[in-house]
Parts: sequence; structure tokens; C-alpha cells
Amino acid sequence: MGARFCLPALLAGALCSGATVAHADPVGGARAEPVGSQLPHVQASLGVRLSKVADAGFDPFADSDELVQVSLGLGATLFRHQRWSLAAVGFWDYGERSSTARGSATSLDVHRLTVGPELRYQLLTPLYLFAHALPAFAHTQASLEDNVAGVPRYARDWSYGVEGAAGAAFEVYGMRSGAVFRPRLWAIAEGGYGYLGSSRLLLSPDSGEGPQRTSAVDLGSVSLSGPYLRVSAALSF
Amino acid sequence: MCGALALGCGGRPSTWDESFIPADSGSGLAAAYGLTGSVAVLDTSLGRVTLLNSPAALKLGSRSLALGTDLAAARVSTDRKTLFALSRGVQPQRKADDERPQLMLIDGGTAPKVLQTYTLTEPMSQLVLDPKNEWAVVYGASGVVQNPNELVLVDLSLTGADALSFNTLLSFGGSPKRFTFTAPLAVPGGDPRRFLIVERDFDLVLIDLADPGRDAVTVPFPKTDANTAGTSAQVVYDADAATIAVRVSGTTSVLLLQLAEPAMDGQDFSVVPNLVDVGGVPSTIDFVHNSLGLRLVALVGSSAVLVDPDTATTQSVQMPAAFTGIRRITNELNPAAVPSADGDVALLYGPNISQIAYFNLSGAPGALFRSIEPYDIGVSVKNVIDVPGETFFDRKILETPSQQFYVLDLTTRESAPMRTNGGLTLEVAPDGERVWAYNPGQPGFASVDFASLHPVSLIAERPVSNVFDIEGVNGQRTAVALHLNPGTIDGIGATVLDAFAPSTANARFYSGLELGGVK
Repeated sequence: MGARFCLPALLAGALCSGATVAHADPVGGARAEPVGSQLPHVQASLGVRLSKVADAGFDPFADSDELVQVSLGLGATLFRHQRWSLAAVGFWDYGERSSTARGSATSLDVHRLTVGPELRYQLLTPLYLFAHALPAFAHTQASLEDNVAGVPRYARDWSYGVEGAAGAAFEVYGMRSGAVFRPRLWAIAEGGYGYLGSSRLLLSPDSGEGPQRTSAVDLGSVSLSGPYLRVSAALSF
Repeated sequence: MCGALALGCGGRPSTWDESFIPADSGSGLAAAYGLTGSVAVLDTSLGRVTLLNSPAALKLGSRSLALGTDLAAARVSTDRKTLFALSRGVQPQRKADDERPQLMLIDGGTAPKVLQTYTLTEPMSQLVLDPKNEWAVVYGASGVVQNPNELVLVDLSLTGADALSFNTLLSFGGSPKRFTFTAPLAVPGGDPRRFLIVERDFDLVLIDLADPGRDAVTVPFPKTDANTAGTSAQVVYDADAATIAVRVSGTTSVLLLQLAEPAMDGQDFSVVPNLVDVGGVPSTIDFVHNSLGLRLVALVGSSAVLVDPDTATTQSVQMPAAFTGIRRITNELNPAAVPSADGDVALLYGPNISQIAYFNLSGAPGALFRSIEPYDIGVSVKNVIDVPGETFFDRKILETPSQQFYVLDLTTRESAPMRTNGGLTLEVAPDGERVWAYNPGQPGFASVDFASLHPVSLIAERPVSNVFDIEGVNGQRTAVALHLNPGTIDGIGATVLDAFAPSTANARFYSGLELGGVK
């Protein structure tokens, strides 16, 4: 969590100072790179996504509105022109919340997959800004430990949506690009809003479990829409 | 940074953290109440009631209604159409808008809703209902200073503060113990009027419901034969004769109170007391009619003592056994019968004898009675349960202290014994077509159809706490076998069956009903 709070200040400092980053030169000493050369060709990231889910349907599964997910990302540059580039990116976010609903244990597992284009602009040598609008697909599994039926109940559903975000990536370590592909390490922060349609919460025991002809428990629906922050570390080539 | 802080806010309503714990009998509340078209399950931790209804065959719907804060008592009206909920409200009151004590009426039909709410001035803990649904009484204040003899009478035909009458009973000591709402008594010199009879430790109070604010009449009980303070054991009345009889514990005398014309100015009526010795300590009393007119019958040992309330003369009839219970069955045998003209028929029973008897008082002119017909049914009877409705009104259910019950056909005088393999709780369907038997905490239960007397045994997949027979939205009847576990953290579950053709082969199971409507 410390990284999440420190990163904006770090980015702001970079923007204000226009500082360049000293890069290890495979041949000789440190030197400045030309702007635009650092934009990643391919990139993999690992981070944390923090979403705020204000929907009341989230309440049975969590005693607060936050949904923290681990986030894996992949990206590849498709087109580059001077400081600008267009990349294809994708993220898989996974997280779970658990709680009790009136004494019954509950949990909500969320997988979210987003894939789409990302526009990048290299503002400074070690810093590029980006924005993306990505179609989103989410799979939720809600569970309720039914004390009366004596079995867990589940509701599994897909939902679809879109999310838009903007952020910045700061190169914390890298080689000069160009003739030789060498790894670069990035610290990335983004914020945006993710819209997802509602998932139905009709919770039923798995087939063959529980009393015969058990009717579903209807907890309505949950929408995981809401603002989010994602901080991650990325490795690019 | 701002975004991060914004994401860090937000919680959920605390109601999600309140476990559902079904009420247990120790709290004075039942976990569930059967109504005509719904089942009410108390959810005291959220201060609400969840009403289960049947929108279609084998379907169970639920709706939760907020009750007042700190529920003190809940009762179902005699016709099962209304649930009454008495709450103490927020105590102590700190703000002007703190919830006040209240009495809430909830329609228990197929579309449950709040019918009426009466706001009270002080928190009360006890609730008594009029079988005719005209009055309710709340009492039992719980403030710093308590007046145990203060009654609040609620006229259910009115709304708001106009409905409330505050009545403090003058006392020779003691507090209210039992209440009896009478039918309209034909008081000489006035219109028939209903009374509320309040039995206290040492006296009885008559409140004229035509003018409840007027001073009540207090009548002390006679002392016991051992010269100690007498207490009331039973109160009965006859509406046409405007006569009340009180069985006083520990004495061979019965107190008769005849309501008569006013004896002085300012009275609407007067009370003429009379103490009649019936020759032994009676086990029960009731009013009956024979060819000689109205008589009070007192069961004393193996005798039935008939008392003429006008002259206080007594006549004794030898019984075949020492019956201790009596139930008039005149109109069950013949709905068109007029007891005052035709004489009564009474069913005699007792928890310590294995006989029942039909006591026919419709004898020839001048005769005390026509016949006493005993039947040895092999088991004792602790209670007689009426069957409502118009189809099987001539049936009675004889509840025994053992694990069986009898369905008694009063017309044919045939009894059908029903044996069970566990304890027994009986629930007669409000339509009067069948009776449900179950043993709380066990999965087995059964339905006995009065037409065929065929028992259908059913085994639910979870232990059954209650069985209720409710009317569905489309006129179907639905049996709701609740799965509650009073006093423990649990949920609301139910097995739902077609009451006309109950079968676990097509029953549906519902649970998680406590989660509905949580906000």
C-alpha cells in the first residue's frame, strides 16, 4: 500500500523536474537517451488493483466497499511515431472478499479480464503517460454457507462492461533501447472507472448437494462497477 | 492520493452483522406464528417480522416488515387474520423523534401489510386480545415507577389516540392475572353490553366496555375453606342470564355474580354476589341449559352438581367417573339447536381417567338430564381441540398426555385413535379439513385428513420446528414446515408442500429467508 501512496508524488516530482534517468550503458558510462526510445515493445506487469464497489449487492460479502485484486498484465506495442505509440494490452485481475451475512459465512470470487488498445505518450525520457479504454469480462462466484440446508450455495455468473483509465509509467531501471533489446523495469500507476453489468445472485447448492428441490436464495444482484486504482511493476523489452 | 483516499471509504449496513436467532419460549415470544395466509417469523435482532406467503403452488414468498424497537409481546387474533406486536420503543427517550412504544397490527392474509399502529405513552410488556377483535389490552408497565393495575384498553375500531382508554383498577392488593372478554351480557334495564373480567390475586374486576373509562366494579374473592385468601381458578359466564361464576381455589363454594338493574343513581348496573356450596372442591365449572333452565354445572369428584343460579339450590348427578373437564358440544351436534330451549349436550373428560362421556341435558320437562353415555377410549384426555370451518364442525380432537390423539366424531360418536412415535404437537388447519401432527426438533410430521382419517406420514430433510397450513394467493392451501432452531444462530428454512396432497416427493425446500430485505 505504501507504493500506492508514494507513487503519485514520485510521478509529480518527475514531471516537475524533467529529470532524466541514468541508464546503464552496455558499452560505457551513463548517458541520456533520446526521447521516445524507451517505450516498451512488449511488457508484462504484476500489481494490485483496488476497486471501490459501492453497490449494495456487495454488502453480504464484505464489510467494506473495497475489492483488492492481484493484477497481471501483458502488452505489446503495435505502432510507434515519435513520442506516441499504440499498444495492445490485457489484464487479468483476481480477488476475493469474504465475510458473514447474518451469521452465515459468505465469499465472493471475482475474475476480471480486460483486453484492448492503450495509447502512450512519452513525456520525459523515463516517463510515459497512457490512457486506455478496455472491454471487460468478469466472472463472479458468490457463495453462502447455508446453516439450515447444511451445504454451501453458489451463484456463478458472467458480466460484461468497459473500463477507462489513465496513468503513468516511470522507468526505474533500464538499458538504452535501439539495437539491443534489454529489460526495463517500470513502476506504473493508473486510475480509472470500471463499468460492469450486474451479476445475479441466485444462490443454489451444487447439483446433488443439499435437500431435494432446493429453491435458490435470491440476494438480488451485484454490480462491481466503480472507480479503481492499479499499481504495478512491469518488465519490458 | 485523493483517489486512493476516496477508495478507502465505505462500509455496509450493520444489519448484515446481526445474526438471525429464532425467539425461544424463554423470551415470552414464539419463534413463529401461523396466520390465515402467511407465517410470521420473528426476527428480533433486526426488529422485524418476516412473513412467508404462498404466491403459487409450492412457492414461498417472503416479505419483512419493521416492528417497533424492543418487541415485548406478540399475539395472533383468534381468527388468525391479524398479528399484534407490542413494542417498548426506544428507552430511555433522548430525542423528540425517538420511537415511542406502540402496538402494531399486521394483516396476516396472503398479502401481508401493516394495518394499524397505535402509539402508547409508556412502555408495556403484556398484551391480551379480545376473541371478537374489538379490543386489546396492554399492561405491565416497566418504568421507574410501575402501576401494575394500570390497563390501557385499545378500541380496535378507532384510530390514533382516540382508541386508547387508560384505566387504573382499584385494588385490594395484587395485580391482573387473567382476562376474559365476555359476549354482550343481557344486563337488565339496559342494552346488552360487553365486559372485561380481570382476575387478580384476591379479587375480580368488571370493566364495562361500553364505557371503559367509567369506574370499574371490584368484587373480592371469598376465603378458602382453610380461611386463607382465595384465588380465582376459573371464570365462566352466561350471556343471556348476565351471570358470572367464579371457581375459587381451595373452597367448596362457587361465587356467582348476577348483573342486575342499577341499585342506586349513577349506576348502569349492579352486581349481586352469591356464594353457593357445591359439596366439594370442584375441578371445573360451566353453564349449561337443561329442561329446568340455566344451570351451573360443577364437577365434584364423581358427581356433577347442578346449581340454579337464581335460587342457589343444588342437585347432584352421579357420574360414571371422576371427570375434570367439560366442553359444551350442543351446536357441534346440531348447529340449529337453541340450548336454552333444547338443552345442552356436554362432553366430559379428564387427564386421569380413560373414559369420556356424553352428558345430555335435554331431558323431558322437569328432568335434570336425559342421559350420560360413557365411552372407554383407553387413554386419558388432557385437552379438547375444536375443528373450525363448516365441513367437520362435529369433530373434536382429543389430545392425550401420551403419544397419541383421537379424532372424535360427535355425530357418530366414533373415535379414531392416532398413534405417533414421538412427542406430539397438533396444528389444526384453519380451513378445518385436516390436522397436522409433529414433534418439534424431529424431521417427521404427518397430516390427517378429517374426511378419510387417512394419516400421511412425511419425513422432511431437516428437523421441523413448526407446521402451519396457510391459504395461498390462488386459493390453494400450502403446508409450511419450518426449520428453525430457537435460541441459536440459524436461518429461516422451510419445506413447502401441497396441503391437499402432501408429499415429500414434490415438496420444495427453502432457506436463507432471513437474508431477504436486509438493508
